[in-house]
Amino acid sequence: MTPNGDDAVAVVPVRHVGRWLAAGLASVVIAMLAHSLFSKIPTGLQNCRSSHVGGALRNVCTDAFEWRFQWDIVGQYFTSIQVLHGLEMTILLTVLTMLIGVSLGVIVAIMRLSPNRIVSSVAWSFTWFFRGTPVLVQLIFWYNIASIFPSADIGIPFSISFIHLDLTTLFTPFTAVLVALGLNEGAYMSEIVRGGIQAVDEGQVEAANSLGLTRLQALRLVVLPQAMRVIIPPTGNEVISMLKTTSLASTVALVELTKSVQNIYAANYKIIPLLVVASIWYLIVTTVLSILQFYVERHYAKGSLRTPPMTPVQRLRHDLRGIAAKALTRRSPRLRELRS
Amino acid sequence: MTTTPMVEAKDVTKSYGAIDVLRGVTLTIQRGEVACLIGPSGSGKSTFLRCINHLEKHDTGELSVDGSFVGYERRGNKLYERTDKEICAERSEIGMVFQRFNLFSHLTALENITLGPIKVKGISTSDAIEQAHLLLDRVGLHDRDHNYPSQLSGGQQQRVAIARALAMEPKLMLFDEPTSALDPELVGEVLDVMKDLAQSGMTMIVVTHEMGFAREVGDSVYFLDEGVVAESGDPNEVLVRPQSPRLVNFLSKVL
Repeated sequence: MTPNGDDAVAVVPVRHVGRWLAAGLASVVIAMLAHSLFSKIPTGLQNCRSSHVGGALRNVCTDAFEWRFQWDIVGQYFTSIQVLHGLEMTILLTVLTMLIGVSLGVIVAIMRLSPNRIVSSVAWSFTWFFRGTPVLVQLIFWYNIASIFPSADIGIPFSISFIHLDLTTLFTPFTAVLVALGLNEGAYMSEIVRGGIQAVDEGQVEAANSLGLTRLQALRLVVLPQAMRVIIPPTGNEVISMLKTTSLASTVALVELTKSVQNIYAANYKIIPLLVVASIWYLIVTTVLSILQFYVERHYAKGSLRTPPMTPVQRLRHDLRGIAAKALTRRSPRLRELRS
Repeated sequence: MTTTPMVEAKDVTKSYGAIDVLRGVTLTIQRGEVACLIGPSGSGKSTFLRCINHLEKHDTGELSVDGSFVGYERRGNKLYERTDKEICAERSEIGMVFQRFNLFSHLTALENITLGPIKVKGISTSDAIEQAHLLLDRVGLHDRDHNYPSQLSGGQQQRVAIARALAMEPKLMLFDEPTSALDPELVGEVLDVMKDLAQSGMTMIVVTHEMGFAREVGDSVYFLDEGVVAESGDPNEVLVRPQSPRLVNFLSKVL
């Protein structure tokens, strides 16, 4: 029943002409992109073979074509052992540098919020320096560190040494990348963590203190778990960014994903298809990371949202159920009546 | 032979920069007493309350809880500032309930209550959970143990906050305007819990604007104005026959 008392007044939805036009235009662009991805171009070579035409042996030639993006070559190298080794190194570097970066970030953020001026200044300077110089410069610097510090000692300053380190052998390309990217990431992460800590209401710390929790307990048990909700999204960004930043390792001759395809195309000159191979792998890892991020965010959203966001699987089920219900009511007016 | 009072303040002062919030508060609160602090906003009620459990540091004067100085230890003729650890131990014996509840938003009602006993007192998790269920029962929320604070009404949150403070088995409870952030129809449920608590013999200091509660439950009332106790005594005397014109003026505004 409508407010007027009529049962059968048709509702005419608004026609969104502008939206339809935009959607149409976008579809055309997508179609063009898809076409160029899967189109073939003439190679200029000819396929010639001998055949009997009208009793005489003749050369019959046809123009040869190949995929514009040379998908056959992409397929050939996609799971080659070199590329897979590169991928493995890229993932290893991403995981290790992020572990260093996050741990360092938490420590520097806490130092930055310390009431002691010297401690907080040290933290500020750390962030200032490592954010303020290019990561590529830092990487080359650490790679060459042994040229100014051939060795290092761990012990009592200016007197006894307990452990002697030979930096020439210690700073391999691998360790140089870990140290350079880890320190640089620590600087960025410290700002993210600091922002998260400061986003937590002061009343939470007061409540924790009033129970008798120490400053560190309050931080660990109350503040950081709540700060996670603010920390996770930009950290997800950092992980994805780091995945690609590890390609800088190719400059110090460490073979990760980018360097592995560079090595291959240096030999066979198939530059584009091999870059496509690397790009697809980067996209796959990024996709996995994005899915992971969704679930981590969902975990830390508990308590702050009355109902947690649906997982993609739940949403799909929910949508399907909605469509089914709609179809059912459309088919049977009786059900529609019952619903209203 | 007199027992030591629960809270004793002599000329307690506190200033934020140029603003003198407390300008010499002197009062004595006995064991089992329910003391209500009233006064206009900015009179220093909340600041004084927060000095008692050292959330704020007072500047001068003597402030002691259960016979020992807040934040300091007297050895001979000197006052030694207490370490963070000692201050935390002191605080764990004083419960506090805040105007804006301050429940830990990432923990369920039950986890809010068990956090202190487990982490500060070192009670086993199963004992803490058992105790938390009893406390939730006591504040009338036995079926809300697995709800997060955002899923509870203001009144329910404040009752969980009271249960959280009680879980530490405090000798003194501080209430900082516990009903000021609540919808009018939710005030009653929180005041009822506080009334029960008062009847059980708990020493309570309540900063409040609920004059009805002060008269019904309070053993004493302290009217703070411009950082000093301007008038104090039996609520049925002070609130019915106010002496100072400032209290008369204040009561005419809140009643």
